[in-house]
Amino acid sequence: MRLPSPRLWTLICAFAALVCCAETTSARRDSTTLVRTVQEAASAAQPMQLPNKPDTVKFAVIGDNGTGGREQYEVAQQMAAWHKKFEFPLVVMMGDNIYGSERPQDFVQKFEAPYKPLLDAGVKFYASLGNHDSREQRYYKYYNMDGKLYYSFKAPKQSVRFFAFESTYMDQEQLAWIEKELDSSRDDWKICFFHHPLYSSARTHGSEMKLRAALEPLLIKYNVSLVLNGHDHVYERIKPQSGIQYFVEGSSGQLRDGDLRKGSPLTAKGFDTDQTFMLMEVDGDQLTFVAISRRGQIVDSGTIARRRTN
Amino acid sequence: MAEAATRARLLSSVILVLLVCAHAVSAQKPRTNPDAATIVDFMKRVDQYVALHKKLESTLPKLPKEATPQQIDQHQRAFGKLIQENRAAAKPGDLFTPAMRRLVRRLMRQVFRGEGGVQLKKEILEEYTENVPLKVNGRYPDSVPLSTVPPQVLKGLPNLPEQLEYRFVGDRLILLDPAAHVIVDYMERVFP
Repeated sequence: MRLPSPRLWTLICAFAALVCCAETTSARRDSTTLVRTVQEAASAAQPMQLPNKPDTVKFAVIGDNGTGGREQYEVAQQMAAWHKKFEFPLVVMMGDNIYGSERPQDFVQKFEAPYKPLLDAGVKFYASLGNHDSREQRYYKYYNMDGKLYYSFKAPKQSVRFFAFESTYMDQEQLAWIEKELDSSRDDWKICFFHHPLYSSARTHGSEMKLRAALEPLLIKYNVSLVLNGHDHVYERIKPQSGIQYFVEGSSGQLRDGDLRKGSPLTAKGFDTDQTFMLMEVDGDQLTFVAISRRGQIVDSGTIARRRTN
Repeated sequence: MAEAATRARLLSSVILVLLVCAHAVSAQKPRTNPDAATIVDFMKRVDQYVALHKKLESTLPKLPKEATPQQIDQHQRAFGKLIQENRAAAKPGDLFTPAMRRLVRRLMRQVFRGEGGVQLKKEILEEYTENVPLKVNGRYPDSVPLSTVPPQVLKGLPNLPEQLEYRFVGDRLILLDPAAHVIVDYMERVFP
């Protein structure tokens, strides 16, 4: 039997290589799709643990997210999967929205691309600035900061107002603004969000005592019910302090594995072994929350009641 | 003899009273901050820079409140160019004068040699991976992430208006104009 000529062998090898390459690419695509499908299935299989009623205020919470890394994208995929069944119209951001350089392409890679399904669905993001963020982010259209370093906005439904602070440079001017805004708000729910936590059990940063001394008296005096922070790359629900519920949600892109101090007297619930985001729903005097991991597992949930004026 | 002893006792009593009075008077004098003059001078220089910043900013079209990243970048570059042209003679020490540098280094020693100082330094240098040269009046290097400036550091430094901010680039403390992305001044070796 005659063997094929060398030229024919070359052609056969090239064809085989092409087939092999195509199969690998297809397998990679399949594996990406598989990951997404598994995540969606995980999210779908979970009992929601949220009332998910019409006419309630639904929102998501993310913090320290802007890494542009795989984990950020996977958290974003979870958010999109949950959005299909729990249609939150807004997301509040705890800062460190863009890590590293902030060139136009970074805004795409570290924000617009991962959250594209949510942005396409009309979800509005409201940012606060972290210690790694440039102040120019306040002009970025998708952060809805209206060109301001600190601002407030009313939720589309119910009696809820959000207040975003700039906690890296907390000066007297901002403190005066905070006092005026909180005082003039007649909303039942006053929800404040900013980067640095007044209470945190994480080893890396922990509670910002100086900021606490400046802000906490105002939060108490003006009947704030809920405070959301980031900075420490963990999830932590703090035991209520002076009637105020605090959360640290700083692991929506970053993560400091094992950073929470075990047995901290502040911790009501902590999770520091995977990235997370939160979903919240305000219905009258009740707020229900869930914290969800990158893998789609609910790692914490509960209900809190709003504070009432004395 | 006894008269001399009485006179000596009287004299010593008078001296004692005078000493006590002198001490009381000196104690009533308002305490002055020995760094006050340095800080006042620094803030005067900051104010001069901010006046220039505002003047030049007013010549540019306003950045829309809902800008694209491209618009932010273009505005930043145009503003940076204006600043650079108008401060062509800027040099290290224009704001961080030798006295201010000494003051900053002393403050940094207190912070970084104090409790948690090692961890703070680690956080500041967290994302600083490449040693980049800096230039006064130059553009902040795009490849270098903005460092954290811990509250413990800010607490000791004079408050800046929003046109300027402190940032670290490695072991250098810079004064950054965030809107123009320009390094207004910097000082080296701030860590003890």
